[in-house]
Amino acid sequence: MLTINNLHVSIEEEQKEILKGLNLEVKPGEVHAIMGPNGSGKSTLASVLAGRDGYEVTEGSVTFDGEDLLELEADERAREGLFLAFQYPVELPGVSMANFLKQAVNSVREHRGQDVLSAGDFLKLMKEKAAIVSLDPSLKARAVNEGFSGGEKKRSEIFQLALLDPKLAILDETDSGLDIDALRIVADGVNGLRNENRSFVLITHYQRLLDYIVPDFVHVLVDGRIVLSGGKELALQLEEKGYDWIKDEQTQTA
Amino acid sequence: MQIESRLLVEIRDRLARLDANSGNGWANGREEAAGAFESLGLPSTRSEAYKYTQMTKRVKDVLSLDNAGTLIDTTSAFTDVPGIHFSTVNGLLTESVAAGSLPKGLTVSSLSEAYAENRIALDDHLARAFDPDRDAFSSLAAASAEDGILIHVAAGVSIAQPVILHHDRVANSGLVQPRLLVVAEGDSSIKVIEHFGDSGSGSAFENRIVEMISATGASVDHLVVYERGREATFVNGLHVYQEERSHFATNTITLGGGMVRNNLHFLPDGEECETHLNGLYIAKGSMHVDNHTFVDHAKPNCESNELFKGIVTDKAVGVFNGKILVRQDAQKINAYQSSKSILLDRAASIYAKPELEIYADDVKCSHGATTGELDDDALFYLRARGIRPEAAKLMLLEAFARDVVDLVDVDAVKDYLYSRLHSILTETAS
Ligand SMILES: Nc1ncnc2c1ncn2[C@@H]1O[C@H](COP(=O)(O)OP(=O)(O)OP(=O)(O)O)[C@@H](O)[C@H]1O
Ligand SMILES: [Mg+2]
Repeated sequence: MLTINNLHVSIEEEQKEILKGLNLEVKPGEVHAIMGPNGSGKSTLASVLAGRDGYEVTEGSVTFDGEDLLELEADERAREGLFLAFQYPVELPGVSMANFLKQAVNSVREHRGQDVLSAGDFLKLMKEKAAIVSLDPSLKARAVNEGFSGGEKKRSEIFQLALLDPKLAILDETDSGLDIDALRIVADGVNGLRNENRSFVLITHYQRLLDYIVPDFVHVLVDGRIVLSGGKELALQLEEKGYDWIKDEQTQTA
Repeated sequence: MQIESRLLVEIRDRLARLDANSGNGWANGREEAAGAFESLGLPSTRSEAYKYTQMTKRVKDVLSLDNAGTLIDTTSAFTDVPGIHFSTVNGLLTESVAAGSLPKGLTVSSLSEAYAENRIALDDHLARAFDPDRDAFSSLAAASAEDGILIHVAAGVSIAQPVILHHDRVANSGLVQPRLLVVAEGDSSIKVIEHFGDSGSGSAFENRIVEMISATGASVDHLVVYERGREATFVNGLHVYQEERSHFATNTITLGGGMVRNNLHFLPDGEECETHLNGLYIAKGSMHVDNHTFVDHAKPNCESNELFKGIVTDKAVGVFNGKILVRQDAQKINAYQSSKSILLDRAASIYAKPELEIYADDVKCSHGATTGELDDDALFYLRARGIRPEAAKLMLLEAFARDVVDLVDVDAVKDYLYSRLHSILTETAS
């Protein structure tokens, strides 16, 4: 599904290298968790995969479903089935949720050779998917993310995930800012969306999310590289010991 | 000979002919305006107020008051909106309005007819909102206007339907300089909508003077939609005078024209006035759109709200200058101004300048002027959902522009504007 090979990424403007040779292989249906200290490059990885401008890939490759991902524009990647749930969803005053979602769903459907949805079918789809994360229906009548609470923004991201039905979803700290009940709801929503074809990359700081969404693999990203990978137990270990022991080991092996 | 002298010769020639048989106060006002125009002169390239807008150069190309030539038939809009509709030629009514055809308390007539009839004391109203020394173009228009339109609502009367002026036909040559006077007497209310249709490749030059008076407790709601073609020039001098407890709202939407200058001037001259001035412009190609606003807070306890937005692309130029003056005795003023522009092209330019002059100490004033490109984060968010760049751009531009249109309170006109924005911006975004 996704193969990242020796990925080096710099910020275009600053010539500062953020990702320093990252490798990751995600197979269909797998759930991978990526943990790591603040500033280690997790969101940068998510942004580069989703195709945000401003990054320069200086080395390495990313293959998505057999295609060179880095050759595609951001919107093409989304239509090909890559979804990013943003750590900080952007507020779009004046852009109605309804219009935004309709355009998003229809661009993706069109790309897949599906019919454009009628107004009625679209409403039905919205209703069905909003229920997955118990999204307050009145939010759909508002401007995109505008004035949404932190938790509502995160739920809305998962709602969009459900609507767009991607092959690979990258969730960047979708759990932060959620209260305990909401975390459960969102996690249940994600679990409901798991299947043998759809893969997930969960970026998180908290082991708790992984109690609900049990990952197949846990990776630790430190200073632009994945320095340790393991099963779900690794998350527990990190929760207990923090990152310093890994960093120490790193300096010892270096 | 200088342009000013040539124009003045023409004006005085006409006034001399007029004086012989009328000698009325209106003619005196025209004399006075001519005098003011003579001493002001057309703004030179060194003029601060016209620094970015070389309007005088455009006058040179026309240089005649004679607009008796060919008329351009422009494209009308919202003709089926419920309202009281009038069509104009060179800013004047095409025929006199039959008595009894209007709601009670509403008068719509030519200025000259109203003057002759003398039922409404025009001398009390004319030049009340307008100071001839304020702006050379307005004084030129006031001096030149042979006639104009009066819209008058009697005290205590509310006219529910909007009065809609379709400025449908306009001369292809010469300066078109009409005068429009709107008077809402005490505790009355009225809505006035004006549409300037697309003049195609015709080169209409309109320099008009509009005076609006909202008397004690009255409410005036005004909208201008300007959609002339790229060869057209427009100098729109709006002069607003408000008495206490009055409400005035105007929305100036500029979607067309080659060179447009809106001079919008507000004098809330009584306590507890509310003034709303909003505007939107989309400048493309080689268009040049300049909005100059001036709110002169002379009396305490008033509120003004200003929102201007612009989208500038290609090689077009957008200018915004918003001045707010709070005079020393004008305590407890709330004055808000916001100007936001989006620049879509490196070759396009925007000059935006707020100017606050505050001499009273107990006031709340705020202003913000932003000029920028479309927000990259917003574009990325949309694209990350599969939306193509052109569609994403269009969504953001429409959202940006719609806020101003949202303030229009006649639904059918609002819908017309939404669809116009959609088609203009679709072109811009692709
Ligand atoms: N556009 C940018 N310009 C400059 N520096 C940047 C930019 N984007 C990211 N960085 C830097 O790259 C590093 C990695 O940032 P990133 O957001 O990927 O970290 P993260 O692992 O997601 O952290 P967190 O856990 O706090 O979300 C940080 O030092 C950050 O300051
Ligand atoms: Mg991050």
